[in-house]
Amino acid sequence: MFSLTFPRKFSKSSKQDDSMEQSAILQMQGVNKTFDKVVALSNVDFELKSNEILGLLGGNGAGKTTLMNTLFGLYKMDSGKIILNGQPVTITSPRDALSKGIGMVHQHFLQINNYTVLENIVLGSKVSHPFTANYKEEEAVIQKLCKRFGLDIDLSSHIETLPMGTRQKVEILKALYRGVKVLILDEPTTNLIPQEVDALFQTLKIMVKEGLSIVFITHKLREVLTICDRISVLREGKNVISLSRKDASDDMLVRAMVGEGMDLNKSVIFSQEGSRSSKANQKTVISLKGINKISDEKTQVLTDISFSVDSGSLIREAGVAGNGQRELAEVVMGIQSASSGSIFLDEEDITNVDTKNRIADGFVYIPEDRLSDGFLNKVSVAHNLILGYHHLEPYSKNGIINWKNVKNSSKKMISEYSIKTTGPDEVGGNLSGGNIQRVMIARAFSQPSKLMIAHNPTRGLDIPSMDFVYKKMFESSARGMASLVISEDLDELLLICDRIAVMYRGKIVGILPRDKFEKYEIGRLMSGYEQSSEETGKRA
Amino acid sequence: MTQIKKFFPYLIAVVAAFIAAGIFIAALKFNPIKAYETIFFTSFRTPNGFIQTLTKWVPLTLVSLAFTVPLSSGKFNIGAEGQMLVGAIGAAAVGITCASLPPILLVPMIILAGILAGAFWGLISAWLLYQFNINEILSTVLLNFISFALIDYVATGPWRDPAAGHPTTVAIGANGFLPMLVNQPPLTIGVILAALAAILIYFYTDKTTSGYELVVTGANPRASKVHGINIRQMFLFSMVIGAGLAGLAGAIEVSGTQHRLIEGLHSNFPTLGLIIGLIARGKNQAVPFVAFFIAILEVGASAMQRTLQIPVQVVLIMEALILIFILLSDLIKRRQK
Repeated sequence: MFSLTFPRKFSKSSKQDDSMEQSAILQMQGVNKTFDKVVALSNVDFELKSNEILGLLGGNGAGKTTLMNTLFGLYKMDSGKIILNGQPVTITSPRDALSKGIGMVHQHFLQINNYTVLENIVLGSKVSHPFTANYKEEEAVIQKLCKRFGLDIDLSSHIETLPMGTRQKVEILKALYRGVKVLILDEPTTNLIPQEVDALFQTLKIMVKEGLSIVFITHKLREVLTICDRISVLREGKNVISLSRKDASDDMLVRAMVGEGMDLNKSVIFSQEGSRSSKANQKTVISLKGINKISDEKTQVLTDISFSVDSGSLIREAGVAGNGQRELAEVVMGIQSASSGSIFLDEEDITNVDTKNRIADGFVYIPEDRLSDGFLNKVSVAHNLILGYHHLEPYSKNGIINWKNVKNSSKKMISEYSIKTTGPDEVGGNLSGGNIQRVMIARAFSQPSKLMIAHNPTRGLDIPSMDFVYKKMFESSARGMASLVISEDLDELLLICDRIAVMYRGKIVGILPRDKFEKYEIGRLMSGYEQSSEETGKRA
Repeated sequence: MTQIKKFFPYLIAVVAAFIAAGIFIAALKFNPIKAYETIFFTSFRTPNGFIQTLTKWVPLTLVSLAFTVPLSSGKFNIGAEGQMLVGAIGAAAVGITCASLPPILLVPMIILAGILAGAFWGLISAWLLYQFNINEILSTVLLNFISFALIDYVATGPWRDPAAGHPTTVAIGANGFLPMLVNQPPLTIGVILAALAAILIYFYTDKTTSGYELVVTGANPRASKVHGINIRQMFLFSMVIGAGLAGLAGAIEVSGTQHRLIEGLHSNFPTLGLIIGLIARGKNQAVPFVAFFIAILEVGASAMQRTLQIPVQVVLIMEALILIFILLSDLIKRRQK
């Protein structure tokens, strides 16, 4: 529907150009897929030409990953065809897909942490000496692949010691080792620092030169415009537009991704400068002094963390996953106790105050792992929406819950936050990931608060919803709320925060004010290079 | 409509269980139709049958709740047996030593002693869980064995009734007998106490903030903790409430039915309690109804043995089959998704 509003010549001309240059290696036609009653893909066509990088662009829930999962044999399509090298094929499992030369690197890697890189790569494939674990021959083959594709990996190192970027290389190498011709990468730049992203793009270019074709799934515009030859946009499970990069522009792709309904001029995500909070009459809301945390496994997970957040400002913690952000969030919330150090709220020491009372003091937490830490699958949506606030009026009085009030507020939240559910009584487990996130967001904003700790608050949300969340955060911060946003998505951080603190291995290695935001500098900090000490000392 | 839809799989499961058990009865060369007739109608044909059913319903409801209340917070109390016995010991001790007190004092004291003794027995497991994170399934089961030894000790000790051939204490004071609701056939106010307990539990878990915390702790302890609920306290609390209910069952058994402490007075109630709790899918409000249904089967089973010589164990098989089929229907529902 939307593509009709584009000048015809775009899609047409690009199609002709490309078909003259390259032939299609893979096509999917009329793919339909529904989960329960949710239509995930509706009559989607897809075409990948040989030796190209195709950007599959769309917001969360657009169906990008679902489409590629059906191609990779993880889901069975309800109807539709796959044509590989001109021949119709059916793909029933990932093993089947690999045997037909289609590989996929998922967002979350399936690797065995205490195995070596080599062992992880050969795992599940035929080996020459199955009973002796002698992988000499395989190693030689893999070494050759590394050289050919410019992947610099020490095959004998253990997975758990490797940074995310290298783990991803392992995953790519796994696919290459199985001789794939088509490689699907699902949001490959998540969790990578900018330097690693550059390296990944280099590798992709070499791979295309070596004869592979690549599908690059992403929701980031800049990435497709940098690396892709052609771009296909999906929205709400439908094709919107397919065009070659030279015909594409920012505006056009944004419009294709978000649809007609969204007012781009008022949006946070697409505003050029990002809206800023006023600097007037700020006061420190929370400050952490010398927080150390030693985990139950006796490892130091937080080292000497000190920083403060002012009212009306958003500070962002950046850092690659597993560098102590979750522990930090939980220490601030009082879910875990710090081994040493203290926390102050409005200059009052709250180090020993428990979570319940911190919530009563105006702390709000949007946890990272929604299924384990933020949501109750087995009880109703209404139960979920009042969690943590159930002892406050109007939800309850004198220890008795007023379900009528709870249901009324729930209904309001459900419509305000566009949570897709049959009503407050529906069992939480029926909700999709994006809607679970909306429930958590609705709950977080349902009470006035002093400090919000949001860990990947927009995970799983489509673009208009992300924008809605940012606006809500700005509104609250204009009312004086301080926010600590933790995310691994650097772009999100650059967009909404006033200051960025970078964590590496449980330490804050640098705090940058907004005017010093620079992607590569942050990337350097995220990989452990400390900021020059005079700058660190200033704000901490 | 949706309610009917919800219950339909359960209905099918129950019917299927009866058919399967019927085949079994037929294989034993008995008439299944006659057997079922006896099982279902004994409770309703005579006042005596109905009152017998109610009398069985009382401990069944209480020991089932002893299982499902801790289950609401996600903890498995397998020790209703021991808690009921220790409750009975507490009730008997008060009933024997304070025999001369007037009924208005003695009856509440016996009931309270039963509840507290049962709760104390549960508290041991709950505290081990709270303090040292010791698995409650293990500790409650192991405490059952200790309670057997304990009842043996009490029933053969100074309060032993020398006239009885079986380990039994002397009778509690007549002032401590539960008042009658109906005299002939006999029905005590125990049935009111059990109904009250079931209603209170429903009100607590469904309408109070503390009950809300109990339920959400069971739904996701980690998320509840993250949102400021003291989940270990909820675990402890629910275990103690559950154990107190089992203790109440013991006290009613002593003061209402046996009037003394008898070894083995827990009968098969605690085992049936687990089955009832599971058939009720852990829902506290469903427990009284499922317990009533099982009480009908139990009363019918003894009648069946008396009149048709079909072994009572057939009913235990039937109950197990109902449970298995209901669990199967859950599995099928999940598959269909």
